[in-house]
This record gives sequence, structure tokens and C-alpha cells, in this order.
Amino acid sequence: MPASSEGPATAGRLQNTEPPENTEPPATAEPPENTEPPATAEPPATAEPPATAEPPARAERAVILPKHLHARPAGLIAQAAARYPQTTIEIVADGRRADARSILAVMALGAVAGSEVLVRTAGAQADGATATVVAILTAAED
Amino acid sequence: MVGIVLVSHSPALAEGAAELVGQIAGGARVVPAGGTEDGRLGTSTRLIVDAIAKADQGAGVLVIPDLGSSVLSARAVIADLDPGAPPVALADAPFVEGAVAAGVAASIGADLSAVARAAEEARDARKL
Repeated sequence: MPASSEGPATAGRLQNTEPPENTEPPATAEPPENTEPPATAEPPATAEPPATAEPPARAERAVILPKHLHARPAGLIAQAAARYPQTTIEIVADGRRADARSILAVMALGAVAGSEVLVRTAGAQADGATATVVAILTAAED
Repeated sequence: MVGIVLVSHSPALAEGAAELVGQIAGGARVVPAGGTEDGRLGTSTRLIVDAIAKADQGAGVLVIPDLGSSVLSARAVIADLDPGAPPVALADAPFVEGAVAAGVAASIGADLSAVARAAEEARDARKL
């Protein structure tokens, strides 16, 4: 019995049906650890690049979530981020940042349907990485 | 791909966690080893050995225990592995969060040390 699962089963799928009201983070929440920049973050843009080097590609897009950013989309995002090893990918929600490679950090954003999140990428393939993550965030619940 | 074994005192807990990880981290092979051989609460080194064999796909296996004798049984199994067996590591990680993080890492083809690190980083992950 292969206990692992090949893709989502049709029965007993994860659902997240609670009303968004009670998923609001408490007002007293402290900034979580996941607001630190990822270890792979590039040096600040203020560093003067060598005259011959191209500036690192950057991209940023805001999206309104059609669904909560719960476990399954967070997992899809972490899996997709792995396809862009040269790209720093952050998701920003309500001023908090998460490294897209960390499913736990992305889930901890607690971003709910209807809220705006920012996808911010830097490095090679920044545009492609942004489009990939935006597509997952904006996909209707499957 | 690195395989994952979830060791719990409770068969239902191990199986439920494996099902959850399977849905969130599609593609990962996660094998539960919960309870005793006759399905009671407890741990069984034999079930753990069998689960490691099922989880192994040649790239090693990460064993994530819940607590107490799960840890002791998993340690005993790993200490007795054949020297030629694929590498097996034991994760010092929260059970559910560690399993989810490890499952995602395994599903993207991370190696055993990276999968173990993903699980152990879950110790520091805030929920809120």
C-alpha cells in the first residue's frame, strides 16, 4: 500500500471553509520570524553594481486572493519556487514577508480571501517566477 | 526521491498525517508507521523497518517520530540498519509541521540532508 499520495485524492480534500473573519491574525501579533529576508536574499539594491553587470531582474505584482492562502496553495507555491533556484521569491501580506520556498512561512502569513498580497521576485527568471506564483495564487479553488 | 516515514504511537495519527502531507506535497512518498503490530497504541520496530523499506526509493529515508517511545524505537531501528542499506536519518522536528515541510522538500527532489533540514526548520516556524 503506497501510503503516499499521488496527487490530490478526490475524496476528503482539504477544505478551508471557515469564514475569513476568524482567520484574521490577532492585532497583537508580533512580527514573525518569517519576516526576515530569506538566506538567499541578494545584497541591497543600493550596492553599486560593477559598471558592466546588468542590474538583477526584479518583478513585483499585487494580486487579490480569490481564496485563502492555506496549506495546498502554499505547498504548490513552495514546489513551484523550487523550479527557480536562481530567483528570490517573496510573498508579502499585510506588511509581513515570507520566503516562497517555505510552506510553513507562507501559511503563517494567514492571508485570507479578498486580501491583497504582493509577489516580489529578484534574480534570473524573475518575471517567469512571478507569473508562476501569481497563477497559483489567483487560481480558483480546484 | 527521499522517502518519509511517520512514526506515531497512534495508527490513526500516523496515517492521517501521511494523508495530509500527501495532499499538500503531491508526489512525496510518505509511509505511516503508527501503533503496534496488532493496531493498538504503541510503537513497533517491525512496522518501522517495513515502512522504511516501503518509503525507500534509493535516495534515503527521513524518519519523523512523534514523541517518547516513537523516538526510542526509531533510534533502535536506525542503529540496527545494515551498513549497506540506503541512508536513513531521524528528524528532530514537530510531527505535523515537520512532516509537511519535509514532504514539500522531498517532492521537489531535495536530498536527504536538505529534507531533514526542512523538517527541523519547522521547530522555529511560527503559526501566527
